[in-house]
Amino acid sequence: MIVEFWGHEFKVNTVFGVIGGFLIAVVSSMFGFGGGPFMTPLMAVGLGLPMYIVVGSSLLAIFFNTLMGTMRHYQFGNFDLTFFLIMFPAAILGGFIAPQIAKRISPITVKRVAVVGLLILALNLLGLY
Amino acid sequence: MKRFWASLLIALSATIFMMWQGGAFAEKAADQVPADVNKDQKTDTATPAMMPTIAIDKTTLDNGGTITVTGTAPAGKPVYLEVWSADVVRASRFDADVDKETGKRPYILYMTENMPAYYKIFAPKDKKEILEGIKKEGKNWSYSKALKDIGADISYSVPAKAKIDRYQATLIGSIIGSRGDLLPQMDDKENKKRSMQLVKARFRSVDKVIGADVDVNPDGTYKASVKIREGLAPGKYSIVAVVDKGVKSQPVTFENNIHFPNIYLSNAGTSLNLVWPFLLTLAISIFGVLMGAGGGFILNPLLVSWWPLPHTVVAGTVMPTVLFSQGSGIYNYSKIKFINWKLGITIGMGMVVGGFIGPKLTELITLDQYKFVFGWILIILAALMFWQTTPAYLSKNKKEQAILKEFRKKAEESAKAKG
Repeated sequence: MIVEFWGHEFKVNTVFGVIGGFLIAVVSSMFGFGGGPFMTPLMAVGLGLPMYIVVGSSLLAIFFNTLMGTMRHYQFGNFDLTFFLIMFPAAILGGFIAPQIAKRISPITVKRVAVVGLLILALNLLGLY
Repeated sequence: MKRFWASLLIALSATIFMMWQGGAFAEKAADQVPADVNKDQKTDTATPAMMPTIAIDKTTLDNGGTITVTGTAPAGKPVYLEVWSADVVRASRFDADVDKETGKRPYILYMTENMPAYYKIFAPKDKKEILEGIKKEGKNWSYSKALKDIGADISYSVPAKAKIDRYQATLIGSIIGSRGDLLPQMDDKENKKRSMQLVKARFRSVDKVIGADVDVNPDGTYKASVKIREGLAPGKYSIVAVVDKGVKSQPVTFENNIHFPNIYLSNAGTSLNLVWPFLLTLAISIFGVLMGAGGGFILNPLLVSWWPLPHTVVAGTVMPTVLFSQGSGIYNYSKIKFINWKLGITIGMGMVVGGFIGPKLTELITLDQYKFVFGWILIILAALMFWQTTPAYLSKNKKEQAILKEFRKKAEESAKAKG
């Protein structure tokens, strides 16, 4: 598939992209997280696309998964409205506060903290401590 | 451009068709609350003199508390107290264990909507040692064996009457996102056996479903402190005293009240103080934006670890919270024409199918499996994040970000010029 973006043409391996997207979507909707951090490397590294085309388009692709996953979870009775109404305002508020903080700290520091935090959490989930 | 719009239209209509197929728009069946599950208790064969009596010291509780239960039973008989809430929740269990007789895996999903949100049997104090032994078995304890060992199987009645649906899961069924074929209703005996497995699947730990707190005196009088935890369902609770099969007291009831800011999550069957999940979500969504990964990665494991919430409810409720931010992100990018619709929709087609299948699989795994797989997902994510802080990636990314900025500026200017 040839994709044209802002005057540049890119060749995209459709089969790889669709199958990769499918697998990420199964796991992310099964466990209930957004697939962003996995989609971006898939498109940037796996498909070899530059960042400026990946940011918007990966978001669009993930949106399909989130929308369908939400519908299906609702259908299976996994959606708790009260719980949603607690978390939703907090998530929106977080989206407004975060950019204010982002100006003041380096994203690399955040990522290093995240690596350590994620590993601790992962080891806890695996029951290793 | 026309072709892109056509493909968008096809994608959307396919989505709507699949949702219609799946019955997403159909109304969820209303929860059937068994008004009086223990109706048949009155048809006791025992003479009134043999029947135990029961009395409680208070009839209301505020988010848990201790109730003192007293009464008399025939001398020399053990007394079991069966306590349950009128409020019901869903319980499900996917049976993929090898059948001992046939050597095959049955792949049957057992599900009921009528599991009491609280259920516990209190046994006489002299059973404490047996109970401790069961606790030592760890995660693989068996509820039905525990009931038998303690002698409490005579008092097990309420969950046994919950109607359990069975679905024969198939590979192809899972792919098209169906629960599978609904199998015929089980007979009472089989229903009872399966309900015990569902009790364990729902409440998980021994402490939550069995206690040894009843003081039985030689003259037949008994006394017990029934402790109702915090964070349980509000509403009516019932207690009956059981001394033998079919020989039980009339039920006594009390009311458990939940006040703001504690609220009850009816689907999860848990009450919690709403301040804590709110603050947790806020902190994690801020951190999520900063690190460039959705908050769900950290939020979901913490929610299932810190509160007794089913992983299905956590996955199904956290997912919709990002719909809005994703939608507004797409809108903002589309305003400056920063989305390639053809690319996004093509990969989105793969993702929409994945999103159709995934939520079906959530209910097939246990909480422990959920945590285990999530652990590995987080290790992969941590590796990805680590790679993004390596010097090689950073220098490459610097160039990419510069181009990104330049393109974005161009895009914004041209959008402005047109607007």
